[in-house]
Amino acid sequence: MADAMKADQSVIPASASRVRLRPERLVMYLVLILGAVLAILPFYWMVSTSLMTLGETIQRRWLPEIPQFVNYQVAWSEARFSRYFFNSVIVTVTTIIGLVTTSVLAGYAFARIRFFGRDFIFGILLSTMMIPESVTMIPNFLMIRGSILPLPGGSWLNSLQALTVPFMANAFSIFLLRQFFAKIPDELWDAARIDGAGHLRFLWTIVLPISRAPIATVTLFAFIGSWNAFLWPLLVTTKETWRPLMVGLWTFVSEAGPETHLLMAGAVITLIPVLVLYFLTQKQFTEGIATTGLKG
Amino acid sequence: MASTTISQVATPRKRIRWLDVKEQLTGYAFIFPAVFIISIFGIFPIGYAFYMSLYNWRVRQGPFVGVENYHKALGDWSGVIIFVLGIAMLFLAYLLWDSALRSHSNLGLALKIGAAMLLIGAFFVAPVGWQQMLETGDVDFLVSLPLTLYYALGTVPAELGLALVLAYILFQKIKGQEFFRMLYFLPYITPVVATAVVFRTIFSPRETSLANQFLTALGQEPQKWLFESKPFNQVMFGLDWLEGFWAGPSMALATIVLFGIWTYVGYNTVIFLAGLGSIPHELYEAAQIDGASTWHLFRYITLPLLSPVTFYLALVAFIGTFKAFNHIYVMRVPSAQGTVDVASVFIFDTFYRYNQFGYATAQAIILFVIILILTIVQNKVFGEKVFYG
Repeated sequence: MADAMKADQSVIPASASRVRLRPERLVMYLVLILGAVLAILPFYWMVSTSLMTLGETIQRRWLPEIPQFVNYQVAWSEARFSRYFFNSVIVTVTTIIGLVTTSVLAGYAFARIRFFGRDFIFGILLSTMMIPESVTMIPNFLMIRGSILPLPGGSWLNSLQALTVPFMANAFSIFLLRQFFAKIPDELWDAARIDGAGHLRFLWTIVLPISRAPIATVTLFAFIGSWNAFLWPLLVTTKETWRPLMVGLWTFVSEAGPETHLLMAGAVITLIPVLVLYFLTQKQFTEGIATTGLKG
Repeated sequence: MASTTISQVATPRKRIRWLDVKEQLTGYAFIFPAVFIISIFGIFPIGYAFYMSLYNWRVRQGPFVGVENYHKALGDWSGVIIFVLGIAMLFLAYLLWDSALRSHSNLGLALKIGAAMLLIGAFFVAPVGWQQMLETGDVDFLVSLPLTLYYALGTVPAELGLALVLAYILFQKIKGQEFFRMLYFLPYITPVVATAVVFRTIFSPRETSLANQFLTALGQEPQKWLFESKPFNQVMFGLDWLEGFWAGPSMALATIVLFGIWTYVGYNTVIFLAGLGSIPHELYEAAQIDGASTWHLFRYITLPLLSPVTFYLALVAFIGTFKAFNHIYVMRVPSAQGTVDVASVFIFDTFYRYNQFGYATAQAIILFVIILILTIVQNKVFGEKVFYG
């Protein structure tokens, strides 16, 4: 049966396989455009409102008469978004460095080093992906406050460690890298071993240079996760010292009151780094995510 | 040639390496940082949360109270047992029905009748148990569970359906495929707090808010959206005879459902698109030669071959809605009168606002158990229907 189909297929010219009527295409484009408009509309609303005067936000115009770039200046300095912004940058960069380091090491070990209990430990790590944050957040909060174990430096509330250390490892990143490392041909390792290289040198000189794509995917996920984090920072930052952007934006919701234009300017500020990164790495980003979805 | 000799040499060496102490230690050293952090912040807290849930733990640890916190949340055990029994009957009815569909004899008919009776029984038993739980347990916590279910059932099917349509269209050699894909994906990567703040203004109860301008343009009355605690069925369609669970989510929660759909459609579209790309093109060509219509191609090739992806997305989305917190927390306003306080938000309040640490962990563990059961059921019910080629 399958053979017959294959035989048929080779006889029919390829051009006959896809012929479509114009009205169908038109409807398709209309649906796609409608979807795109709905996806973009809130962003348009955000940006246009952020450039309005207070009066214009109340009358609900679609466009500001004269763009009020001063709103951004006010949000940046008076609403202290500059401070939150730099806090977020430091928190995100620290988390990414820590996360990528631990995940590369663990992903490599789980893929390429044989040690006792390897698959069992890996299975336990994977099962942590199912646990809701609601369960872990309360013990972790006590932990960070230093109430369960004595921490170096006493309580970690309002500290950089509290915002970064708990996120410096996760099962998902290890899983992603392990999948890739496992596919590296054994011959490479054997050759390196003959040259006298250990695992660490092999990892550093051979594996890392050919693993740019999966590491970039892990980094992007880490960036999004860390930059967009809200619940945990809300718990552990009671003062402004290390308050990140998302918590800053949330406190501004109550402070700004009716000043929607300033609130929207603040929201746009939180968005800019994500958008810049997204547009620069767009292909890597969507494809990385698509492959993670298919592997599940 | 050279590589084969090396691998031949390497094979026996690998067996010896199992005993190699240095190799073993290197392995442990490599995984140590990650395992250490995940153990402390991911595994240890589960046990500690359970420990906390057995104490009357406010800000500081109080006396041991056993299962009192669970009892306080769920009410009398008899109610819980009756309710669980009702749900089990529902599941059993499904299993019977499923096996009835496979057998064609008289047994099938008997099974179907059995399933129907169980179903009817479940509809009487479960509400009795639930009512008893509501009367003796923590009403606000218990009500947060069906609210979570509303949120899940409101978002997951809609976002998957829309994503499938968009992905299917994008896959038809559309010009600007990458461009559309990029736009659809935007809501997923942007910070939820920022977009939720924007939705707060778009769906504000003011007559000039974007959502109300839209309604006015359609000749409808402006709505209070996030500020409306009345059921959305009642507000939009005047269905005021529905009561209790069947009354449906409030207008405020329905608005949050819209936000959930808006955020995740793009993510699902991207993954569906990748899934469509992995279906062998020859299958379509062969079927077209046999004279299959576009609908038949979709129904008998695309849908079955896409089912592993659909299943994965449904599972992730469903678990995700049960954990959802950030945007609901940001979009809730006092006027919604707790009608948007899904379980995760409610637990956060018990912990953060009322400082009842022990009670909050008990609630969190109940939520965790529910998520576990739902995952298992979902695996059982839909996992079997997945076609792995």
